[in-house]
Amino acid sequence: MVIVKRKTLTLAERLYLPEILRGLSITFRKMFQPKVTRQYPEEPLPTNEVTRGQPRLRELTEGHLACVSCGLCEAACPAYAITIDGQETDRFIEREPERFEIDMLRCILCGFCEEACPKEAIFMSTELELAGFTRESFKYGIDKLKRSTEELAPRMEYIKRINERW
Amino acid sequence: MNDFLIILIKTCVIYGCLIGAAALMTLAERKFSAWMQLRYGPNRVGPWGLLQPLADGVKFIFKEELCPDGANPWIFRLAPILSAVPAMLTVAVIPFAGDVNLFGVDCGNLSITDLDIGVLFLVAIGGLSVYGVILGGWASNSKYSLLGGLRASAQMISYELSLILIILCVVAMTGSLDLRAITEAQNTGNPLSWNVFSQPLAFVIFVIATFAETNRHPFDFAECEPELVAGFHTEYSSMKFALFFLGEYCAMIVMACLTTTLFLGGYSVPFWEDAPWFVELGSFCAKAGFFAFLFIWVRWTLPRFRFDQLMHLGWKVFLPLALANLLVTGAVISLA
Repeated sequence: MVIVKRKTLTLAERLYLPEILRGLSITFRKMFQPKVTRQYPEEPLPTNEVTRGQPRLRELTEGHLACVSCGLCEAACPAYAITIDGQETDRFIEREPERFEIDMLRCILCGFCEEACPKEAIFMSTELELAGFTRESFKYGIDKLKRSTEELAPRMEYIKRINERW
Repeated sequence: MNDFLIILIKTCVIYGCLIGAAALMTLAERKFSAWMQLRYGPNRVGPWGLLQPLADGVKFIFKEELCPDGANPWIFRLAPILSAVPAMLTVAVIPFAGDVNLFGVDCGNLSITDLDIGVLFLVAIGGLSVYGVILGGWASNSKYSLLGGLRASAQMISYELSLILIILCVVAMTGSLDLRAITEAQNTGNPLSWNVFSQPLAFVIFVIATFAETNRHPFDFAECEPELVAGFHTEYSSMKFALFFLGEYCAMIVMACLTTTLFLGGYSVPFWEDAPWFVELGSFCAKAGFFAFLFIWVRWTLPRFRFDQLMHLGWKVFLPLALANLLVTGAVISLA
C-alpha cells in the first residue's frame, strides 16, 4: 500500500492571501506579454511549397495552359471533382482542354491530380481560402484556375525534388 | 424649480454614467481576461473594440424571449428586474465628489442624494438583490437554476453578515451613517487618515466579502458554469439575461465605489485637502476603477472555491474576525 504523505501547509499558505497575491502578480505580468493570437484575415496563415492548398492549372505560354487534356487527373480524382472536355489545337502540344472544371466543394485537396499529371500542368497551390454564396460559384473553370508558371514555381521545384527520390 | 432641475440632471448624468460604466465593464472583463491569457480580446467592433457592448446589446434585444414550460411567468419576468434595480438604486447615495460649481451655477455636492442613513439604505437595498437571484432560480422550473439560486442566496446572506459588521466598524469610527460624513472624516489631506490604515483587517475582509456579495469569482456559486450549466439564469435569454448581467456589473461598480468611500477616503485627494471637484472626481474614479479592475483580475487568477469551503470561510472565519474587529474598535473608541 502506498501512503501519500500530505505536505503540511505553513501558516502563510493556510492564510491564502500571500499565495493569492503571488497568483495575481503572475496574471498581471502576463497582461504585458506579447499576444499569441493570429489576427487571421489581416495576418494570413504562413504557407510554403509543402502546403497542399487548392489545385491550380499552370500556364505554359501566354494565355495557354500546359494541360493536354489527357484525363489522367480526372481518372485519379477520388472525389470525381474534375471534369475535362478536350479539343484540338494548332499549337505544338496539339491538344488542350476546352473546359477544365474543378468542383471545389467536392475537391478533398488530396493532391492525386498533381501526382497523376504527366505534363506538370496541375499543382496544389498555397491558396486555402474558399467561400461563396451559391453551389455554382464553387465550380471553378479555366479562368479561375489559371496561374502563371512563376506563381507555381516553388511547388514545381518541390514536386520535382520529391519525384527524383524514386 | 431650479433645485429640481439640478437634481434631475444629476440623476440622469450619474445613472447614465453607471450604465455606461457597466457596459464598459463587460468589455473590460473580456479585454483583461484576454490579455491575461495572451489573447487580444474583442477588437473588431469600433476602435479597440469599444463598441462591442453596443453590439452585444443589439444582439440581446433581437434574441428570442424564452419562458420554460411550467415556469411561473410573472415571477420569471420579475426576477431580472429585482436583480438589476436594487443594484442600480444603491448608487444614489454614493458621494462622487464635493461641491460642484459648473458655469457659475452651484450644483451642490456631486451625488444624487446625501442621505443621513446612506449606509443603511445601501445595505438594505443591496440586500434585496438576493430576491432576484433566488426568485429567478425558483421560477425557472429547472433544477440547475434552483440549486444555483439556493446556493447564491445562502452565500449572499452569510457574507452580508460580515460585510455589515465591517461597515459597522467604520460607522463606529466616524460616528455617522452618512457616506459623505464618512468621506469627509477621511479627507484631511493626509492619506494616513484613510480607514484602510486604521482598519487593515476590516479592509481585507470587506474586499473579500464584496466578492462573495456580488457573486464574483472565486465565489460565483450562483453561476458555477461547470456544475450548474449557468446557475440561476440558465433558463433566461434575450434582454432578461442581459438585465441579470447589468445588475451584476452595476453591483460590482457600486461595491467598488463603496469600498473606496469606506476605506480609501472616497473622493479625498492625497496631500490636497480642498481640491476642486473634478480632481476629487478623478481621484474617486481612479480608486473605484482599481477595485473594479480587482474584480476582473481576481476572476481570471483564482479557481472557484468548493461550496463547503465558502461556507466555512464565511461563518467560521469572517464572522468571528469581523465580530472581534468590531469589539476591538468599540473598545478602543470608548477608551480613547
